[in-house]
Amino acid sequence: MIPVLRLDGVSFSYGSVPALADVSFDIAPGERVALLGRNGAGKSTVVRLIAGLQRPDEGTVWVGDWDTRDCAPEELARRVGSLFQHADQQLFASSVRDDVSFGPRALGVGEREVERRTDDALEDLDLTPHAAHHPYDLPPALRKLAALAGVLALEPALLVLDEPTIGLDRALRARVTRGLLERSAAGAALLVITHDLTFAAETLERGLVLDRGTLACDEPLAALLGDATRLEPFGLEPPPVAALSAALDLPGRPVRAAEAARELARVARGRPAP
Amino acid sequence: MRSLTLEGVSFWYPATDSPALRNVSLHVARGEIVALVGALGAGASTLLLVAADLAPRVTGGRLTGSAARHDRSGIVLPTPWTQASGMAFSVWDEVAFGPANLGWPTHEIARQVDRAIEQLELAPLASRDPVTLSGGELQRVIIAAILAMDPGLVLLDEPAAELDSDGARTLWRLIRRLAKDGKAVLLATSTLDALPEVADRVVWLEDGAIRAVGPPDLLADVAACDAGLGTSVATVWRTSGLPGPYPLTVAHALRRWR
Repeated sequence: MIPVLRLDGVSFSYGSVPALADVSFDIAPGERVALLGRNGAGKSTVVRLIAGLQRPDEGTVWVGDWDTRDCAPEELARRVGSLFQHADQQLFASSVRDDVSFGPRALGVGEREVERRTDDALEDLDLTPHAAHHPYDLPPALRKLAALAGVLALEPALLVLDEPTIGLDRALRARVTRGLLERSAAGAALLVITHDLTFAAETLERGLVLDRGTLACDEPLAALLGDATRLEPFGLEPPPVAALSAALDLPGRPVRAAEAARELARVARGRPAP
Repeated sequence: MRSLTLEGVSFWYPATDSPALRNVSLHVARGEIVALVGALGAGASTLLLVAADLAPRVTGGRLTGSAARHDRSGIVLPTPWTQASGMAFSVWDEVAFGPANLGWPTHEIARQVDRAIEQLELAPLASRDPVTLSGGELQRVIIAAILAMDPGLVLLDEPAAELDSDGARTLWRLIRRLAKDGKAVLLATSTLDALPEVADRVVWLEDGAIRAVGPPDLLADVAACDAGLGTSVATVWRTSGLPGPYPLTVAHALRRWR
């Protein structure tokens, strides 16, 4: 199977400031991948390269069988939906609904399909009550969510999301998790940059860590998040649920809240885990 | 000694009928860290805008009740990239922009800028052009730029949003130090798990009104957990069906478990 995304020996610098050095990884359809690392490690540069806004100095970024060097960003948008760090920059219509439907309409999808995709994306993120609002009447966190709905409405094979949960409360973060899991179950691959390791634990399954522009780690996310000594060199620490599981030595060391609660209840009742 | 006094404040944004804040009374003392928590839209950001004297003065709208600031305030918005001057070609100059506009003598500007740059651990970035910074780096620069103006009342809206774990730890430590130095800190955050070690008081806002005020233990209350405002540890405990009171942190949980 052709990967949805392949970075092959990618290097990139901003003038004399190096950002990425010889980075290689693949993502398969339906995979849910976290891209972690310190501020300035090169994470957002990866997003810009995949969206075709920057071209690699060396190496190749493949989106399916397309070399991003040969594609304009608007062509790449048929396969990649990108949520940028400062999503204010991607909203421009006078209502949330118009903004969300702009993408699929620009792709040339039929009007009925545009409506369906828009309704689904708004519904997935609980934004239907805000559909008629002007995006700039919304608080910044909801603006970012509106931008995410616009990305979901593209229904791309690959979703590349830069910090999708900033400022969201727990209920909305759970909503984003649910929406992304549904898209992944339907075959979309996810590459998510986040410092919110609690959200990452609930949503994603594989962890990549960038360290000063190089790929330092690529392994199952749950194992990584539960291992304080592995995380420490990257300035990361286990999220609270993983730390709780480790401190209480819960069976299987769960990193997701529901699983940790289940194990906690089971152990507390004195029954061994199966 | 009070730094901020809000008495019965209600606030309406322009062209809205329902108030964003309802009859809010809150005092923040010098040396105190108060954290605002609540669901999205509960009013935390609006309360910070009122505290900063930006609402209604800049936002428009209508305020009833009274809001008195007893110190100069500085606010870090949830969109810090909109606070960059756009006129500086180095991080040092960006941080100096505010102090320079306060008309301070050059040596005082330099002293405050150097101190803020040290506090946010920005020395390695001091000569970088702000447009080349990552989101988290820029957020630290903006926090430094606000602190360089030496505000007595520090207002922070999601100050750790774009910071990595190290950056967030540095920030929370710095906030404690600011309070120790006598600053009043009022902050809004959705990073509830940081608050037990940072906040002196937690204010739970719901639909524009204060629902509860208390020590951070508030974040282990049954009602707070049910409203999605419990810490991760308290929430896992509640979901497991184990009896209360729920532990607030991993350390509390470990003590309970043993």
